[in-house]
Amino acid sequence: MHSFGYRANALLTFAITILALMCAIASVSDNFNSPSPTSQVQVLNINWFQKKPDGDDEVSLTLNISANLESLFTWNTKQVFVFLAAEYETPKNMLNQVSLWDGIIPSKEHAKFWIHTTNKYRFIDQGSNLRGKDFNLTLHWHVMPKTGKMFSDKIVMSGYRLPQLYR
Amino acid sequence: MDWQGQKVAEQLMQLMLVIFAVVAFIAGYVLGSFQTMMLVYTAGVVLTSLITVPNWPFFNRNPMKWLDPNEAEKHPKPQPANSGPKKKTSSKN
Repeated sequence: MHSFGYRANALLTFAITILALMCAIASVSDNFNSPSPTSQVQVLNINWFQKKPDGDDEVSLTLNISANLESLFTWNTKQVFVFLAAEYETPKNMLNQVSLWDGIIPSKEHAKFWIHTTNKYRFIDQGSNLRGKDFNLTLHWHVMPKTGKMFSDKIVMSGYRLPQLYR
Repeated sequence: MDWQGQKVAEQLMQLMLVIFAVVAFIAGYVLGSFQTMMLVYTAGVVLTSLITVPNWPFFNRNPMKWLDPNEAEKHPKPQPANSGPKKKTSSKN
């Protein structure tokens, strides 16, 4: 501690070590938050439902997505990425996931939302399995903290069914 | 900065940073704002460096006691056996 440079160096090193520790504790503090998000999705309309020339089924939906993800936000949350996926089972695959809509929620103020939309990404099956198919709509989210590890969870909403006939 | 000053400066630096870190963390957690924590801590680091880094007079209250010049003359540094000055003096006289 005999010179200006030595003292400045010691202070900076110690300050940044403590800062790293504070960030670590901040990310640990996220574990004390037990979120209780809610979500509801209505399929308002099947806009069209057809077999594409290459044989794959494609359907266009009008959706009403409402969710309250406010409880996911803590002081250490930067943003939340959320996406809605259609999930169904086919003879070939146990689980098929098709992303229909996504969004980035930048703050708690925007975490209670309601959106009326057609599917943002095309709902295409790899094959011709969609007629009369029961499917789940699952709202997935990834919480991106300011420090620490990212974590994710989902809400599964079941009881949706596609029509028997193309239209 | 004297010896005592260096010790005080180091301890003060560590104590102040830890206190500011605790205060900043509690403030940030209670107010639910990460930014508040960073601002309080940054302010703390700046204040700490202003206090403990420059060589303030406060750190020089216990100056080191050197031996008196007289005392040094009584115990002179041993000279090498065939040193220059002796020869010079002899040739002059």
